[in-house]
Amino acid sequence: MATPTDTQEQSSDGPLQRWTQSAIQNPDKVYRALFYAAMVFFLVTTLFPFYWLIVLAVTPEGNLLSGSFLPTVNLFGVSGTFPLPVPKGFNPGAFVTVFEQVPFHLYMLNSFALAVTTTVIVLFVASLAGYVFGRLRFPGRALLMLGILAISYFPPAAFVIPLFQAFAGNAPITIPFTSIPLFTPPRLLNTPGSMVLPFSALFMPLSIFILTTFYGQIPDGLEDAARVEGTTRLGALFRVIMPLSAPGVATAAVLTFIAVYNEYFFSSIMATSPEAAKWSPIVGGILSYQTQYTTQYNLMAAASIVGVLPVVILVIVAQERIVSGLTSGALKE
Amino acid sequence: MARVRLEHVTKRYDDQGDVVTAVDDMNLDIDHGEFICFVGPSGCGKSTTMETIAGLTIPTEGEIYIGDREVTNLPPKDRGIAMVFQNIALFPHMDVYDNISFGLRLRDYPQDEIDRRVERAADIVQLEGMLNRMPEEMSGGQRQRVAIARAIVREPDVFLMDEPLANLDAKLKVHMRTELQRLHKELDTTIIYVTHDQEEAMTLSDRIAVLDSGQLQQIDPPLTCYNEPDNLFVAGFIGSPSMNFVEGTVTETTLETPNFSLEFNPSSIDGVGVGDDVTLGIRPEDIYPGELKSEVPDPSGMITATTDILEPMGDEIFAYLLLGDGETSMSQELATNDQLLMSIDPDSDLEEDDEIGVVIDRRNVHLFDSATGEAIVHDLIPYEAEGTASSSEVESDD
Repeated sequence: MATPTDTQEQSSDGPLQRWTQSAIQNPDKVYRALFYAAMVFFLVTTLFPFYWLIVLAVTPEGNLLSGSFLPTVNLFGVSGTFPLPVPKGFNPGAFVTVFEQVPFHLYMLNSFALAVTTTVIVLFVASLAGYVFGRLRFPGRALLMLGILAISYFPPAAFVIPLFQAFAGNAPITIPFTSIPLFTPPRLLNTPGSMVLPFSALFMPLSIFILTTFYGQIPDGLEDAARVEGTTRLGALFRVIMPLSAPGVATAAVLTFIAVYNEYFFSSIMATSPEAAKWSPIVGGILSYQTQYTTQYNLMAAASIVGVLPVVILVIVAQERIVSGLTSGALKE
Repeated sequence: MARVRLEHVTKRYDDQGDVVTAVDDMNLDIDHGEFICFVGPSGCGKSTTMETIAGLTIPTEGEIYIGDREVTNLPPKDRGIAMVFQNIALFPHMDVYDNISFGLRLRDYPQDEIDRRVERAADIVQLEGMLNRMPEEMSGGQRQRVAIARAIVREPDVFLMDEPLANLDAKLKVHMRTELQRLHKELDTTIIYVTHDQEEAMTLSDRIAVLDSGQLQQIDPPLTCYNEPDNLFVAGFIGSPSMNFVEGTVTETTLETPNFSLEFNPSSIDGVGVGDDVTLGIRPEDIYPGELKSEVPDPSGMITATTDILEPMGDEIFAYLLLGDGETSMSQELATNDQLLMSIDPDSDLEEDDEIGVVIDRRNVHLFDSATGEAIVHDLIPYEAEGTASSSEVESDD
């Protein structure tokens, strides 16, 4: 008696109810729907700003402040606002002007050089630390590891004032709470030293953590074999352990590189004015398009796009490694 | 010439407050060109001993000499050794050529010398034409051969092999075993070989070093270890299936065990006195069915037993015998007083739960001091056989 009524009711349901019904039968459907929803959300939130930059960059400067970026469209008599911003005019020349007004390539070079130097230092030191933490047993290991990780909990701003004072090189460093001078540091402001040093220290803990996990997984036998074959412990680290941990090393390298490449806070302070000669980074360059009286949004947008390209390329190239490095970490012997 | 000497080598670990002694006052003297096997159960210290020779572990006390040099604190690379590991330990990111030439390249050999040596090593282990393969593309046996080639290419003074065949299947193991013997003949190098497989040790080595709880129990040629074990541990460890142990007491004319007695003359044997508690050791092949009594040179009296389990192996049958009204012994203790294992002819029509009589060959019966485990004598020849008895006394030197 109930069966025919049920079928009748079901067939009269709307599409949502029918979908819900089938989703109850088949929960995979829900997971897939949720996955797509999340994907769309992330894609929109990450890609829309980039699209917005392109729109701004190609809009001629004169049109920037006049009218709306959301055009009114008239479709078969129905008029409405187009939901996506579109450029007002087309001026690809902004990408050239960017380099004419300000030596933007020099700013990029600064960021690039800072990022590469920091990455090399971080990888080298973090490899040594990762080897010790990952492969040796010694008392106080966990405590020391915790101490290193604690550095990354500090807000970088906490270090700015003492570091600026030290790098200014005007007064000698004294023993805390006394006036006994220890040494006068060299003047590092406006040099890469004043940026690479704090960057290396700040981004080190993450890399140490990643590399510790990876180096700890390399079988002892391989290190022993390398040592018997003729390397020292360090030689085994760089000839065998590090190449075998390539996904982890790549992950640490890319994360460090991107973080330093995008860094502004420290470098804006350590470079006393946003000039390329004073090792100001990309963001310093972008802000140079803003003068006391004008703000050239289109050039700032164009510069942002140009500046982000190296990172995009890096991520595309290293993507596979990073993904496997962040997710698996497993390594076959 | 690489003679390897260990003097009072001791290795202690501090395991969260507990001191664990992995190697306890080890003294070894290994001659040039000798093939020595370290055998012992898991955790007996054989691998640690090898690691101290390799330099991967620094001993807590004692000295190690390779050739005329003291190497106790030298790093592994300066010791003139090569090692083959249990888990093979090929570098997975290098092809076979790079793996084999790794040590040579580190030592800056000229390229043509490297090529020549790699080719020769590959030739010895029959790996021609595989030099461009990656380890992951090779079978277990091939990988093991690469590992051996990597070891021989540097022409070391001493080869260390840490259970190199443990991860191979049974058939390959036997094959590689013969290859290793051939290799030893060809290279004339000292080889120190760690294994827990006493069969490997018996077939390969010039001398076997039996280790237990970090201490050297006996170092002798394989047959000496088999026929004249120094103590209960060696007797039980060497030989498969292992020796039967029965506890007994010495009387005026016999050895009394719970289920049978063996006639012998205690006064003919040094170190045995009436009333002593001894442990009798009998190998399965020295127990014979009663009907063969006339063929046994020096048979014991008939012992009645019931067969319990039969294990046909093809060329022989292992029969578990229950003595007296004995129950199947499940105890893990060394001495199984109510049970004997014997090896019988495969054609025998013996069945389970049969009542049979067996005799023991008294020429091949070992007596151990129950308290210390030390061997007393390796046959029970009575009365007149003084000459034989003296030659079978425990020999501690080679």
